Amino acid sequence: MAYKQVSSRSGGALSWFLQRVTGIVLLFVMIGHYILMHYNIDSGHTYDAVLSRMQNPFYKGLQMTFVVLGIYHGVNGTWSVVRDFDLNKSVSWTIYALLVISGVVFGLVGITTLMSF
Amino acid sequence: MELTVRIQRYDPEKDSAPHFENYKLENVNKTDRILDLLNRIKWEIDGGLTYRRSCTHGICGSDAVKINGRNRLACSVLVQDLKISKSTIQIEPIPALPLEKDLLVDMSSFFEKYEIVKPYLIPKDAPPERERYQTNEDAELLFESAKCIQCGSCSTSCPSLWVNENYIGPAAFLKAYRFIFDTRDDATAERLDLIDTTDGLWRCHTIFNCVEACPKEIDITWHISQLKKAALRREI
Ligand code: HEM
Ligand code: SF4
Ligand code: FES
Repeated sequence: MAYKQVSSRSGGALSWFLQRVTGIVLLFVMIGHYILMHYNIDSGHTYDAVLSRMQNPFYKGLQMTFVVLGIYHGVNGTWSVVRDFDLNKSVSWTIYALLVISGVVFGLVGITTLMSF
Repeated sequence: MELTVRIQRYDPEKDSAPHFENYKLENVNKTDRILDLLNRIKWEIDGGLTYRRSCTHGICGSDAVKINGRNRLACSVLVQDLKISKSTIQIEPIPALPLEKDLLVDMSSFFEKYEIVKPYLIPKDAPPERERYQTNEDAELLFESAKCIQCGSCSTSCPSLWVNENYIGPAAFLKAYRFIFDTRDDATAERLDLIDTTDGLWRCHTIFNCVEACPKEIDITWHISQLKKAALRREI
């Protein structure tokens, strides 16, 4: 077996750390999301209820955190799985570009939607 | 009792692919080791059966094989330790390494990775007149990692190695830990550089297969986490 040693610092430490940190924050944000949005008798899902909730800065902030962290965590996590495979450079760069572009696009969609309330 | 041992066989001179063969054994005791069964098959039925073993006592690490789907040492598992369905025990080579013959795999890449982490003390100072001292507490940090017998059960049980043969793997990380956390060693940064790489630490996703596989019950994932934290501390 030809074992090729890569011995340059990969910057993997930071993305590993941020994956953990955003994961932990997401855990609480997700619990909050379910309690506040789905299991709360007061929450309601009518047009008016959603509208008034989204105008509340606390909810808006919560959803904004959710969008940004969720997308970062999802994209960074998928990239870390892609890197597990011994792919050639052009394939992994293509996947990397697609991940970053889709993250930015979905992020913008999410943020502009929230800002429109 | 009577047992069927189902063994993966492969003769590179005759077979195009590995296949399984069944061997019926009578008078098997519950306290027989799996290695005893392999020996009986080799000595009584087919002298061509090829596998490694040396110490027969869980010290040399040469007889790691996959027993009923798990990487284990054939000399350290008794028949009674296994949940046996249909009186059959299945034995295969450990995965992810080039197959040479029957249960024998080529361990070269495993040991190359072990060597790249520089598995020897690199101190700054010249040797003192007598030994280099350590406190008991400092030495205790190393005891668990130093129990490793280089059997390869952990690294070859890891999905990250299955999909990328360049992944350095848990056994080499454990050895890196053993020196990085040795107070007498001064090559911490150099060693961290060697494992803080794309094929290094960050391919570990805390899957715990290594911990389940290790015959010495080393909490390998804990040791890898200490290395990840040490690598992170350099960045922030
Ligand atoms: C309860 C909230 C969550 C927690 C606590 C959490 C935690 C984690 C942690 C610790 C990792 C790193 C695993 C490793 O490589 O060692 C991870 C990976 C990952 N997460 Fe999350 N996560 C959460 C929610 C999410 C969500 C909502 C998504 C989807 C957007 C997601 C997608 C991913 C992906 C794709 C990976 C990479 C897979 C892997 O490394 O095994 N996670 N998560
Ligand atoms: S850590 Fe355990 S499983 Fe891995 S090589 Fe050492 S003894 Fe074998
Ligand atoms: S034969 Fe030495 S460890 Fe099993």
